[in-house]
Amino acid sequence: MVSINATLIAQILNFIVLLWVLAKFAYKPLIKVMDDRRNRIINDLDTAEQTRLDAEALKAQYVEQLANARQEATDIVDKANKVAQNLHDEFMEQARAEKEAMMATAKERIEQDKQQALVDIRTQVIALSTQIASKVVNQKLNSAEDQKLVADATDQFLENR
Amino acid sequence: MGTAEASEGIIHYLPTEIFSGVIINMQTMYMSWLTMLIVAVIVFAATRKAEIIPSGIQNVVEVFVDWLNGLMESSMGIEGRRTAAPFVITLFLYIFIGNELGLMPQIGPHLTSPTNDINVAFGLAITVSLAVYLFGVMRQGLSYFKHFTQPFAAMLPLNILEEIAKPLTMALRLFGNILAGEILLVVLYMLAPWIIPNIWIGFSLIIGFLQAFIFTMLTMIALAPVFKANH
Repeated sequence: MVSINATLIAQILNFIVLLWVLAKFAYKPLIKVMDDRRNRIINDLDTAEQTRLDAEALKAQYVEQLANARQEATDIVDKANKVAQNLHDEFMEQARAEKEAMMATAKERIEQDKQQALVDIRTQVIALSTQIASKVVNQKLNSAEDQKLVADATDQFLENR
Repeated sequence: MGTAEASEGIIHYLPTEIFSGVIINMQTMYMSWLTMLIVAVIVFAATRKAEIIPSGIQNVVEVFVDWLNGLMESSMGIEGRRTAAPFVITLFLYIFIGNELGLMPQIGPHLTSPTNDINVAFGLAITVSLAVYLFGVMRQGLSYFKHFTQPFAAMLPLNILEEIAKPLTMALRLFGNILAGEILLVVLYMLAPWIIPNIWIGFSLIIGFLQAFIFTMLTMIALAPVFKANH
């Protein structure tokens, strides 16, 4: 027979007892664990995202540093090349100047030697010519006048050469 | 009440007079206690060693809890979910287990659903109404009852009628579905002892879940204005 009776009240009490027991002893740990897990997953995802961003930033930094390093290396090599070129040019210039100086000195020496040799030759020629001439004419030609005559002849001879 | 007459002789409530004038349906009480025990055992088994990485029964209970939490959050908001979660989850598990209990194999003691008794169904519906008032007063004080005169004072009788009609329809829907399912199951066993009743049991298991869900959903809808009013 279907009728409303005290079962209604008893059922309400039953449910309240069940609700109280479960809410007090069972749901709190369960909800806490579920919330903890949720928070942990959110945190982990955030951390992972942060780590990824950090890694990307670090990578960009490294790439930039690498580019800088490469640029610096290129600069250093360029600079070294330039220095070497400068040194080379300088040495070449110096060597050329030295060579020219040496050439000039040598030319001067040669000219001096030549002049000296000409003077020597003249002296010798005068002496020889005088001796030869004296022998040829078989008389002494040692007067100052003779000497001068011979000297003039010699000079003329030498100049004509 | 055709259902009442049909149920006579098929469904037994064991009405017993425990004090003079106080009649309690003992079959309903035993089944209600059994349902409470099963719910408590399942929930305690799931939460006794609740761990961050769930396994076994904790997983099963968490699926339901998570599902109900999602429904509560969408209807009542996060604040409503925090406050009402134990109530709504207990209600769902109690009705769900209770509905399926009457469909278990009838070996030894005669198992029926506690929810096949109008007293249980109506008792649960009244509990929901009381919970709505309780949460309402907890959140908004006595001014919560002002909504009875909204949108204007002349609506008071209609609002009161609605407050009575809501639990009544919830109770009758649950009770009618479960009782009809059990009566039809008994009748089918009489007509065809094999296969056909089993198909009906399969269908009734789904009905049991569905009715528990509908009852819980209506509870959430009834609770929603309490938590939405402040937003």
